[in-house]
Amino acid sequence: MFLAIDKHKKEKIALMDDHKNRVTYQDICVFCNVYGKTIKRRSLLFLLCRNTAGAVLNYLACLENDIVPLLLNASIDEELLEELCQKYDPEYLCMPTDATDMCKALTGDGKVVLEEYGYRVIWMDTDACPMHDKLALLMSTSGSTGSSKLVRYSKENLEVNAGNVAKVFGWTESEKPVCDLPMNYTMGLNVINSHLVVGATVVLTDYNLMSPDYWNVVKQEQCTNFTGVPFSYSILTKLRVDRMELPYLKTLAEGGGSLSENEFKMWAEYASRNGKRFFATFGTTETSARMAYLPPDLAVHKTGSIGIAIPQGEMFLLDEDGKEIREAQAQGELGYRGPNVTLGYAVCREDFKLGDVFGGEYHTGDIARRDQDGCYYIVGRKSRFIKLLGMRISLDECERLIRDKLQVENICMGKDEKMVIYITLAHRCDEVSDFISKKLKLYRSVFEVRYIREIPRSESGKILYQQLEI
Amino acid sequence: MNNTEKYTQVFMTVFQVHKEALDESFTFANIEMWDSLAHMTLITKLEETFGIMFDTEDILNYGSFFNGMKILEKYGVDFSI
Repeated sequence: MFLAIDKHKKEKIALMDDHKNRVTYQDICVFCNVYGKTIKRRSLLFLLCRNTAGAVLNYLACLENDIVPLLLNASIDEELLEELCQKYDPEYLCMPTDATDMCKALTGDGKVVLEEYGYRVIWMDTDACPMHDKLALLMSTSGSTGSSKLVRYSKENLEVNAGNVAKVFGWTESEKPVCDLPMNYTMGLNVINSHLVVGATVVLTDYNLMSPDYWNVVKQEQCTNFTGVPFSYSILTKLRVDRMELPYLKTLAEGGGSLSENEFKMWAEYASRNGKRFFATFGTTETSARMAYLPPDLAVHKTGSIGIAIPQGEMFLLDEDGKEIREAQAQGELGYRGPNVTLGYAVCREDFKLGDVFGGEYHTGDIARRDQDGCYYIVGRKSRFIKLLGMRISLDECERLIRDKLQVENICMGKDEKMVIYITLAHRCDEVSDFISKKLKLYRSVFEVRYIREIPRSESGKILYQQLEI
Repeated sequence: MNNTEKYTQVFMTVFQVHKEALDESFTFANIEMWDSLAHMTLITKLEETFGIMFDTEDILNYGSFFNGMKILEKYGVDFSI
């Protein structure tokens, strides 16, 4: 079975959530079996995710029964969801039962074919979607904008990454991770996969780090490890979690962007002082979440490093001509080779027929430095993506949204944790910042809208980004 | 500005709302915008404004405009003047 689910202890709890659901490994097997008899194989299904047992069960049952899910956040903007539905025309929509009202317009007369664990699968009565045998899962390239550009995963991508990440961390069935990163976010999904593959108990929660409920869960369930994005760590710092009594929490993992130097140092030292482990990791949606990790015993000495490649993987640097740099100490675009490199992208339904386009190699668009010990450090970014609160945001996508929906000419720029939007209409600054903050569901202080008289362009009409300040 | 005004001002800035919106229903559970980043910003602003440093429990339980004042009183912020 997928992730060897049927090989684990049958009575052991695999998934638990905020709604008191307790799902054993045996329950997963049963659910998968029912699913296979109800939902068509090789069909396309949109899964609107919350961090609940129901959502994970639907995901696992899809993978087990060769149904291809696109994982989306259940709180996705309705218009964006509609756009995606029009573009990819899924045969099934799967969503939390209490969210089906919101989606009435979309599902229309769709027939409910399955309802369990607070989730509902709706048959959309549309044509089957031809797809390549290897295609097993789809994720959006940019979680919040629900970008219509998707990444195509094979089953092997997910399983091999789950196994290798479990190996790196040394996970066993006695682990109990608290998983608050959304499961439609590649690293969130990896936390789930890498624990299910070893037969552990995954504690799913939708509570946020700033709520007392969250910490009640961590304490009551005696969670053993935590994975966070940089913003999660800012909250931990603010909450002075280093002073909290958390004897069971043994491992702190970080990924999805770089911590500030101070915070990295602080958490690495906190871990080493308290007999815990601090793991900095690095990955991308295109490489099934994780491709690098810094061994925890190096964390105190190598501040800010993403470390070395995970097992079966290889990292390398490319010069400006795309040639591999051989010198030990060097700087260039970070590339990765390994079995967790996904199949490629999809921008339309036709693309689901494509096979392995990446061919096991992915160039990240990040600029990295390699030190004398072979450890890597991210120093910047080549591509037009930034990370806001750990979520990867496509700047091009944001420009398109603002242009299409508000008819405002604009330029989105930024670095991690801040986006600057230049517009040519001074009186619409507030409106733009309101709009983008609502669309991305991110608090407005991470956006700054500035007025500019004219967008600087080259003779050929290309935007001259380097003339604008961030 | 007295402390009540300062306090109200912090909420108005953080949540971009008018004074009138700040009543007993202005709580973490009711206000959609009051997410974790807004909460972080609010706590930081309150700490700066009143020169205090919250305990973890108080940060976690800081869930409403009204009850928040009681928490601040524990840190010696006087709202009667």
